Amino acid sequence: MLEAGAAFVAWLGMSVVVLADGRRGLALGIVLVTAGLAVIVFQGAGPIAAGALGVGGAAAALRRLTHGPSGWRVMPPGSTPRVVLCVAAGILVLWISFSATTAGDGALRFVILTVLGLSVARVLSSDEPSTLLTAIALLALGIAATVGIGSVAHGLGAVTQSEWPYIAAALVAALAGWLPVRTANVA
Amino acid sequence: MWPESAEVVVFTAFALAFALTFAPAPTQRRSLMFRGGVGLAGTIAIATVPTFELSLLALLVLGVLHAAVNGKQSFATRLRAPVLAVALLALALVLARAQGSDVLGRFAAVGLVAGLAAGIGLLPYLHPFDPEDPVSASPIAWFAFIGPVLAVVVVAGTHGVLGPDAGGAFGATLVGVGLVNVAWGGVAAWSTENTIAAWRYSFIADWGLALCGFGLTVADGRRAALLVIFSIVLCRLPLYVASRQALREKALTERPVNLVVAAALAGSAPFAGFAARVLLLRGATQMFWPLGLVLAIAMLLWLPGSLRLGRSLGLPRGRRALGVALVLALNVAVGLYPLPLLQAAGQ
Repeated sequence: MLEAGAAFVAWLGMSVVVLADGRRGLALGIVLVTAGLAVIVFQGAGPIAAGALGVGGAAAALRRLTHGPSGWRVMPPGSTPRVVLCVAAGILVLWISFSATTAGDGALRFVILTVLGLSVARVLSSDEPSTLLTAIALLALGIAATVGIGSVAHGLGAVTQSEWPYIAAALVAALAGWLPVRTANVA
Repeated sequence: MWPESAEVVVFTAFALAFALTFAPAPTQRRSLMFRGGVGLAGTIAIATVPTFELSLLALLVLGVLHAAVNGKQSFATRLRAPVLAVALLALALVLARAQGSDVLGRFAAVGLVAGLAAGIGLLPYLHPFDPEDPVSASPIAWFAFIGPVLAVVVVAGTHGVLGPDAGGAFGATLVGVGLVNVAWGGVAAWSTENTIAAWRYSFIADWGLALCGFGLTVADGRRAALLVIFSIVLCRLPLYVASRQALREKALTERPVNLVVAAALAGSAPFAGFAARVLLLRGATQMFWPLGLVLAIAMLLWLPGSLRLGRSLGLPRGRRALGVALVLALNVAVGLYPLPLLQAAGQ
């Protein structure tokens, strides 16, 4: 039940990232996705992995809260396609995670596929650097979470090794917002 | 770290050293040293990290940094293809690891090939290209610097992830995408108006051959792919860098050196490209002889494009002439005796 709730929160957070253009909306989205992802990862990979994702996501959210277009700007005019995208992606990913695949880590699959799919959709549809860097931070967290897919048993060495992707992803997420980006250099 | 990927990292290091040594202006050299150094560090990270997730994260970082460097295209435009590549590869990884029907494995195979094509910048995901961009900021960096290591890591990594059925689908998809790129790149390098764009399409055509080699499940295919990658990184890329000055001056010459360069670019004997083509045809014939026939016909497409690209080199003088001579000598050596290179890569 906890995992299902966390997966819903993560989907909600990704939907906020897709629907918002302002820094407060984007930061809220990062917080929700990170919280959902960290709860699910905690169940399978333990506190260090979940903590790393949490810290990375929190740092990304803090940075986003101070840089980018001001305000919330959730669902500006013309957002209907984005709403449809969020709902359709949620339904498709739900089917893939719980019906097309059979192992017990369905909630993790749901969150990862949601984060990967909607992050890419955001990158492909936006020109605003703060939005792009938000999507990249979340994409990094989603990639790290794939470590938990299909893992049945962990030896001590395997657990130690598998925590590095979480730490690396947290670093990428935390630092992505600091990248100086030239918005346009078209002659 | 697989020996094959270690060898390709060495190729890219040599290519960077060549570009630094033979870059015409000191200002370009400094910029190239910084950008190339970051790129080389990124490719080393992709090849050496212990898990595929970490390779994807390294690729993501490299893609973001490359999109942020100064170029004619906007950050958003340049970011799309690398991010799409990373996401497709991660999606494929999830599908490959998830338990379910065999169809999931095949989707994973298609996702891996699609991610690889998007990462390198091949059809159907050509990166945005502006002929005025410097080499380090253009898609050429993905074709000839980051792409080779990425391809070797993805292809080597799939052996542990995909089952036999999905592995077959992976190979078949690679061959299919490779043939499309061979045909598209070969025709476009011949027929496009802009010569810099023609160079870009010639990289695409070469990559088509490399993908076909990776897709063949016989040893000759992998050997051919490695030699094609060698000729991309240590023949086509240095010659492209050497031709940039003549391209800017729009100087076309028809001297013997241009004909020799055209022969090297076309993969004729005794250059490394010829050995790659022989191995590829032998591997394709072992697998399915009509594929060998199609490849043999497609290889003829290199001739007109390569003659054009050879002319675009101009008449190299001084340091540039020395660089071109070194590249040609290295390619002749590998073409005549490729065995040490293949053995070092574990082939």
